[in-house]
Amino acid sequence: MRSFLLQVAAVTTINVKSIPQRFWLSLSTIVAVALVVVVLLAFLSMANGFQRTLSGSGAADVAIVLRGGAESEINSVVLRDQVRLIDDAPGIARGPDGKPLVSAELYLTVDGIKRNSQTKANLPLRGIGQEGAAVRRDIRIVAGRMFSPGSNEMVVGKGILSEFQGFDLGSTVTFRTTRWNVVGVFEAGGSVFESEIWADLPVVQSLFNRNNAFQTVRARLEDPASLATLKAYVDNDPRLKLDVKSEAAYFADQASRTTDLIQKLGWPLAIAMAFGALAGALNTMYSSVAARATEIATLRAIGFGGFSAFVGTLVESLILAVIGGAVGAAATFLLFDGLTTSTLGASFTQVVFSFKLTPALVGQGVVLALIVGLIGGLFPAFRAARMPIVAGLNE
Amino acid sequence: MNDLVLVRKNLFRKKLRAALMLVSMLVAFAIFGVLAAFQRSFNSGQDVAAADRLVVVNKINFTQPLPVAYFNRVRGIDGVRQVTHLNWFGGYYQDPRNFMLVFAVEPATYMDVYSDDIDVPPDAHDAFLRERTSALVGEAMARKWGWKVGDHIPISSSIFSQKSGTHTWDFTIAGIFKNRKPQIDTNFMVFQYDYFDETRSFTKDLIGWLALQTVSPADNDRVAKAIDQMFANSSYETSTDTEKAFNKAFAAQFGNIALMVELVVGAAFVTILMIVGNTMVMAVRERTREIAVLKTLGFSGRRIFGLVLGESVLLALLGGLPGLGIAVLVTLSISQSLSNFFPGMAVTPGIALAALALMVALGLATGFVPALNAYRLRIATALGRG
Repeated sequence: MRSFLLQVAAVTTINVKSIPQRFWLSLSTIVAVALVVVVLLAFLSMANGFQRTLSGSGAADVAIVLRGGAESEINSVVLRDQVRLIDDAPGIARGPDGKPLVSAELYLTVDGIKRNSQTKANLPLRGIGQEGAAVRRDIRIVAGRMFSPGSNEMVVGKGILSEFQGFDLGSTVTFRTTRWNVVGVFEAGGSVFESEIWADLPVVQSLFNRNNAFQTVRARLEDPASLATLKAYVDNDPRLKLDVKSEAAYFADQASRTTDLIQKLGWPLAIAMAFGALAGALNTMYSSVAARATEIATLRAIGFGGFSAFVGTLVESLILAVIGGAVGAAATFLLFDGLTTSTLGASFTQVVFSFKLTPALVGQGVVLALIVGLIGGLFPAFRAARMPIVAGLNE
Repeated sequence: MNDLVLVRKNLFRKKLRAALMLVSMLVAFAIFGVLAAFQRSFNSGQDVAAADRLVVVNKINFTQPLPVAYFNRVRGIDGVRQVTHLNWFGGYYQDPRNFMLVFAVEPATYMDVYSDDIDVPPDAHDAFLRERTSALVGEAMARKWGWKVGDHIPISSSIFSQKSGTHTWDFTIAGIFKNRKPQIDTNFMVFQYDYFDETRSFTKDLIGWLALQTVSPADNDRVAKAIDQMFANSSYETSTDTEKAFNKAFAAQFGNIALMVELVVGAAFVTILMIVGNTMVMAVRERTREIAVLKTLGFSGRRIFGLVLGESVLLALLGGLPGLGIAVLVTLSISQSLSNFFPGMAVTPGIALAALALMVALGLATGFVPALNAYRLRIATALGRG
């Protein structure tokens, strides 16, 4: 057994040491595998980044109330009378002043200019009251100050500032005939709210002629389990034809559509490219076996087994694939990780997010690389193991 | 034995190696074809836009409404040939996941402004004007759901509701229209604005946007400025753009899709250059003695150069063309299910030509170094080896 292992180790070492003899061919396999991994991981880290931004936005103990059938905030309408009924609903947490933590909000779309394309893009303008920030956690003003109630002032999320023009701190924006001042910048724990513009609810309502209407109502629940209580209350009141969801579920649903799409693009492309890389790997390994035909035959003649030739070839292929996978993962990390971009979300407004590579994703990339290396090495390895000694020595 | 036979025999001397290179070429061009079709569909809004069509939207954002009165006021502006107005309905059929493109329009002017794009049969044209609750359905949409003229279809809205509280409107199909240009997608339907405005439970006399045709594209700038000036400082200011510019900006909202496509296609082609290029160098090196013999027989260096280049170009074509064929099959099979998001996805003659040019270019690029090596090969050194 020991001599068998020594044989395998010796042949594997010979294989690996001979890689520089086929430098360009081996390099092309490494590059091909690396590019497959880059394409896969770029798409997966994009999907992951988008998903994180949205899932980080929703709290399990915040309920979001939408008009029945409205799948997103922009499509929803909730009337003032309905908001009053929700104020009285059971299961809702109360603030220090004893008032229920219920935030009726207006959600409108306004134009901004996307910095990298210099084209118009849909940005959400959210009218919120005093309760807006209380219902949400993690809202922090990082520059300037919060808007003052009753004024034409707005605060913008950090993402708006980085990706869009026209909303810098201290600048003035005109909607209809009204001028608005940008007085602050806020962070919201990397959530989708950082892609929003916030202003005082009554001011937005009156300036956009939406006096008695809201888009959504958010309510902080006493605990996540109170969602069922609130739901039952709303379902039993015929005046409330509304859907109640937890904010977490709402955003998870929105995220899944876009991330599904990105993943459905990324995997087939990477797999198609993997076939191209596989052709390269097979080619390289068959060349390796051919180039070492005499050597393999000599080893066999002096008593080495066919299995050691098999393992040696397979390991050579796997090593090339692992190097390719590692290079690909490192390149993705350097080129894409943390890259900030934006796309249209389910509410038809821009969502700013960053590519996020994780060890689990790198694992998927390396597995794909190993599959290429395994198949690319397997068939040439069989050839190496079965090579007739006489034919090899005659070369 | 002419040169082509020689080229072919050389290429397939090692069958397995040739097959592997063909596969990698095939994969690269299948990816190219599908992604080019995808990108074309993504940009189709710009390609189908008529040069003389302008879009008037609310200056704050195109999802904000405009007063219906603007329709008549824009009509009166000099240089406007015809104007119509449209509303986004947020439509779906039976299940919110069956999202559909549905617009409430001013019927007579709509069919006029878009007469170069869609072909409405005369009886459908008249029936659509006559019957208040009727709808015109595009051929692709009718085919998708198996609808015929005269069918009653319940279409729901994810935004609007009727005064009765229901989200569903019933329409009678007045007719089915076809496209007049192949790149126009017909997976949408239109119905009468008047019916919509009377029945919806909230907002009244507000429309989504105006679409107009100018007398000539030369008037575009002047007309656009006149419209925006007319409504400046009102509570509904407008932003007027050409249809092309509007569609381009809208597509850009999804992100830099073009860059994404270029990166992936670029990665696929770099892979090919590396794999096929190196393999060709190796294949020609193995033939060193043989090339020396050919030269001894009187083959000129240029002819040898051509033989090797011919081999790599033949390889690119033999791998690339079936790859393009696969791209055609893939786009055909997924275009139906993606028609809502990526209408008219297809490998067009333009894409095929670009692919052909790329095949030749890749063939030349992968063959150049080995061809040069063969060209420079000196008989004495080559035959002296080994």
